[in-house]
Amino acid sequence: MNCLDYRRELLARAIESPTMREHRLQCVQCTAFRTEHLRFESRLQDALQVPVPPAFENRVIERVFSEPVPTQMLVSASRRRWLLGAAAAAAAGLIATPLLLSRREDPLALGCIQWVIKEEAKSIMMGAMPREEAVRVLAATLPLERIERLGQVRHIAPCPFNDGTAYHVVLSRGEDKITLLVMPEGTAAKRSRAQYEGMAATVITAGTGSVGIVGPSRAVVTGVAVQIGAAS
Amino acid sequence: MPDKLSAEDRARFESAVRAHAAELYRYAYWLARDRQLAEDTVQEAFLRAWRSFREVRDEHSVRAWFYTIVRNEFYRLSGRDAGRPQTVDIEELEIADSQAGVFGMEIRDALKGLPAAYAEPLALQVLGGFSCGEIASMLATTEGAIMTRLTRARQALKKLTTAESVKVRRGRLA
Repeated sequence: MNCLDYRRELLARAIESPTMREHRLQCVQCTAFRTEHLRFESRLQDALQVPVPPAFENRVIERVFSEPVPTQMLVSASRRRWLLGAAAAAAAGLIATPLLLSRREDPLALGCIQWVIKEEAKSIMMGAMPREEAVRVLAATLPLERIERLGQVRHIAPCPFNDGTAYHVVLSRGEDKITLLVMPEGTAAKRSRAQYEGMAATVITAGTGSVGIVGPSRAVVTGVAVQIGAAS
Repeated sequence: MPDKLSAEDRARFESAVRAHAAELYRYAYWLARDRQLAEDTVQEAFLRAWRSFREVRDEHSVRAWFYTIVRNEFYRLSGRDAGRPQTVDIEELEIADSQAGVFGMEIRDALKGLPAAYAEPLALQVLGGFSCGEIASMLATTEGAIMTRLTRARQALKKLTTAESVKVRRGRLA
């Protein structure tokens, strides 16, 4: 490791690895750089500690517990039960709600956007499925190797969607984040599109099923759809 | 049985709110740069988290999950685009040996002017204690991109908060 590597690593990671330490112990300039860095980090930490409004936690707790308990809270904690129990709610809530909000947009594509807004964080939090399993379940609809050509795969997991089980894929593609909902059991009759809450979605047929694509703009989503379509 | 479980969940959730609300508020503040929006964001995020809290059994993942929900709620409430962070160029600065004269209040002022694409990973690392890899997963980007943003953010803050820069800005205001 040289001085430039040491300084870049320290500025990015903020902590020292054993290799970095080894370099610093032999380098007077980097020792001085680290001393200054630690002083800066301490002040940065202080600067980020903006005051929290008084009794904020109490207000949050009061607000949360004053809301009616949703029926979905009575569903078991396991992913399997989540898949089964939430499927109906997903079908009704995720597709019907956007339909009411905007009748001009396609309900299935709107449902994809609504799913990203409401359920994506939970899916990521519950963990990804093993790669071998993903290869197997996606093979007939959109093979994983083809997905990997679309961007860097960050997450794959099953999820309840559109009255069945879909596979949730998060991709990073340059500066864009793309979500795919691969539906092995659902065949879209025609390509459908929607825009909602600053996101765009389209649903296309792929293999034996269909794929919902959600991204930051119609152009980005169309680009992914074209790439999937061209490879089909 | 559901009532008993509900009471247990309620106690767990209340404990989680007390443990994490302050740091999540600070994270939301540095996303929003606005106290009211930060407060609304965290309130809505906890409301959403409570609806799914029964699913969460792994206590270690709760904190990262809360951060992700706060982030999603912020982008939903503010109408900004989470998938496309602002790409404001920060001039790549020399990594200088001398970084003398750093002032606390000036860092906070400088942070307020830092583009969200740079301030967000910095807040996640410094306030949340997340690694570059974890931040990359949360922001759905690569670890390399996060390291670049963090390096540039610190370089920019250091440059903006050196004694010379502060004097220049004070001189302009005088």
